[in-house]
Amino acid sequence: MPHTGKRHPARLIMSVILLIAAVMLFPPRAYAQAPGHSFQVDTLKKLSLEELMNVEVTSVSKRPEKLKAAASAIQVITQEDIRQSGATSVPEALRLAPNLQVAQVNSSQWAISARGFSNVLANKLLVLIDGRVVYTPMYAGVFWDVQNLVLEDIDRIEVISGPGGTLWGANAVNGVINIITKNSKDTQGLFAEAAVGTKLRGLGSLRYGGKLAKNLSYRVYGTAFKRGSTIFHPDSVETNDDWTMAQGGVRLDWQATENDAVAFQTNVYNDRPDPDGDNPIVARGSNALARWAHTTSDQSNLQLQVYYDHTWRDFRNGFTEKLNTYDVDGQQRFRLGQRHEIIYGLGFRYMEHDVTNLELFAFEPAKKSLYLFNVFLQDEIALVKEKLRLTLGIKVEHNSYTDFQYQPNARLNWTPTPTQTLWTAVSRAVRNPARIDREFFLYLAPQLPFVAGSNFQSEEVLAYELGWRIQPHEGLSVSLATFYNVYDNIRSVEPGPPPLGIPITFGNGVKGNTYGAELSATYQLNDWWRLRGGYTYLKKNLEVKENSSDANQGSAESNDPSHQVLIQSMMKLPGRIELGTVLRYVGALPKPKVSEYVGLDIRLGWKLDKRIELNLVGQNLVKSSHTEFIPSSQVAKDIERSVYAKVVCRF
Amino acid sequence: MSFLKAIISRKTGRAAVEPGFILFAVLLSFGALTPSQNETTKEYQVKAVFLYNFTQFIEWPPEAFPQPDAPLVIGILGPDPFGKYLDETVQGEKINGHPLVVHRFRTLAEIGHCQILFISTDEKNQWKQIFEYAKAQHVLTVGDVTNFQKQGGMIRFFPEENKIRIRINLTSVKNADLKVSSKLLRLAEIIEP
Repeated sequence: MPHTGKRHPARLIMSVILLIAAVMLFPPRAYAQAPGHSFQVDTLKKLSLEELMNVEVTSVSKRPEKLKAAASAIQVITQEDIRQSGATSVPEALRLAPNLQVAQVNSSQWAISARGFSNVLANKLLVLIDGRVVYTPMYAGVFWDVQNLVLEDIDRIEVISGPGGTLWGANAVNGVINIITKNSKDTQGLFAEAAVGTKLRGLGSLRYGGKLAKNLSYRVYGTAFKRGSTIFHPDSVETNDDWTMAQGGVRLDWQATENDAVAFQTNVYNDRPDPDGDNPIVARGSNALARWAHTTSDQSNLQLQVYYDHTWRDFRNGFTEKLNTYDVDGQQRFRLGQRHEIIYGLGFRYMEHDVTNLELFAFEPAKKSLYLFNVFLQDEIALVKEKLRLTLGIKVEHNSYTDFQYQPNARLNWTPTPTQTLWTAVSRAVRNPARIDREFFLYLAPQLPFVAGSNFQSEEVLAYELGWRIQPHEGLSVSLATFYNVYDNIRSVEPGPPPLGIPITFGNGVKGNTYGAELSATYQLNDWWRLRGGYTYLKKNLEVKENSSDANQGSAESNDPSHQVLIQSMMKLPGRIELGTVLRYVGALPKPKVSEYVGLDIRLGWKLDKRIELNLVGQNLVKSSHTEFIPSSQVAKDIERSVYAKVVCRF
Repeated sequence: MSFLKAIISRKTGRAAVEPGFILFAVLLSFGALTPSQNETTKEYQVKAVFLYNFTQFIEWPPEAFPQPDAPLVIGILGPDPFGKYLDETVQGEKINGHPLVVHRFRTLAEIGHCQILFISTDEKNQWKQIFEYAKAQHVLTVGDVTNFQKQGGMIRFFPEENKIRIRINLTSVKNADLKVSSKLLRLAEIIEP
């Protein structure tokens, strides 16, 4: 490779594309002669029954039916995409969604958003892990450092950019991330992984899956890691923000009858992130979830789910946060007549949020019970059978802070040919107030507030979307989603009365619009090579409303790139070698300014035999270090180039 | 590797080529490599091998065969989704002295002596007669249509997350005096209506 020090990122992308193209133009001999898309009789006959059941028989691009037909900007990251990318954490796996903005802030913190408004405290995404909501009502954002999983156990990650519509819960303003883990009947046997490297100092996971009865399977797992520090920008001094974590859990799946499936899962974790590099935060949590699904056909099912989630975080400066969440949800789907497919549901969530305040930094009251009640109804109407579908839905929510909130949406889906879908949607979504919006106080001295609680109302968006999805042939699918979002009542920072201008309060003084496009494609070129990727464009026009004097001048505390490119290549080479490449370009962030960068990860995997796999992975290979995001109050920290080796055993 | 250098050095020269254009061109040129549609689909290739595997994991009573060395017949009723693949799979194979052969039956009336019957028709009013026949003649019925088992079919292939799974109706299997090995039972979903 020529040196990459000062080259323009576009050049680098070109070189890599050319390299990939060159490898492809001269495919290894053994593969050039292999028959196109069919299995050799002898190969299949040599497989055990278990292995035969694990053979994938349809191309992944057409797997989830909803991907093709859905009237929304949904993208799916599969287990195979994650495995071949060399990702080592959930946020790293999320980098594989071209419609997400994912930036690493320091060793344990991330800024993740869709369609803009990215920040460490980004608050317009709904994130679910197996149906469990993981954002905190403290600021409506996600502590990404405790959203950990054995990546091998993830079945897929669905990422929807744009309002989640009726079916998803509160906070789905700009997008939904839905992480789904495998059924335990698909994780039978022993799995062990051990990794060591320059940034990923160590990672080990052990999982065992078995059967308790003929239709009752389980898995038990434990995983732990240590990740090294980032470095200060620009002087490259170690920041001591290293991060360790341990986690374990159990999942049970019971196929009670042909139509009834019951799942139970529980996890516990103990986490030591240290974003400031002085004194590690202690974060502990546990959760348990049970779900019953009664499915009689594709169009008819009933689902009930309950979960409990406990998190506790000691910031080690005296401030602690405790949260207990109790949630129950039910939904039913059925057909009505020839043309209507109805879904309705209700959900209730109760949260006990309890903080230990500091003298000058406080949520008041310290302890608060919050609730969220919702009911939704959606009708999917076949206007012209298999050609034109209209979906009308509404969700009504009530929470501890505001009046009833109405979130309607209308979607039209036209499928002129079986391989092509045009869709359009109009939806309204809200972000309910979080505790920080209403009840946060920062004092200059006792009784002298610098920041004070206010009567903050919900933020609103009206989103117009237009999308096109096409599958020109079996291996290639392309999707284009465009959007125009109109926002109102976005959070502003309002100075207090003169002469001092304190206390500062949060208001709803920002409005504006964003528009953009998300182009994505997956391409299975042949048996041994798959490409996926995308390009995302975002333009944000926010302004301060007349009655506001927003101290942030309408920035909405966010910092987003206008351009983003992702190309992932997955190759199976002769000699049981896999070569995975992830190349991403992220445009410059305006304020605070962060330069554009190119990230390149390369994974080389070698299957010694059926049971043992060796991996060598290089991450962020382009430059020795780069900045991805600067939180407003802190100095910039850089992510360094890193390498790790991993052994995986499956028995 | 000199061709690589040549390509790369040309790239770094003056002539600016849009990366998007190159990617597009590369994608287009390889679109031609997609497979022809008339081969047996992967799905039915795997199912064919499952059928072959069933001959090893199912035990038939002696009266299911006219003679001890009679062939073990895999029958297909209705449109044949396997093509030559099933024939190639069982070619030259023997199970307990029974050579494996494939017979195709277009209609119900044509059904003759067989030990496994793959039913690709979804005419439910025919099923009842077929299942009666199967029970009396110790025939393992296999299908992949919804409700196949509710009506009395024995083994159903069903798709799940891109893979093929097996569901066994143990009552129907037992009624026909067939024995399923524990290994197959362990991997399949069991229903006993």
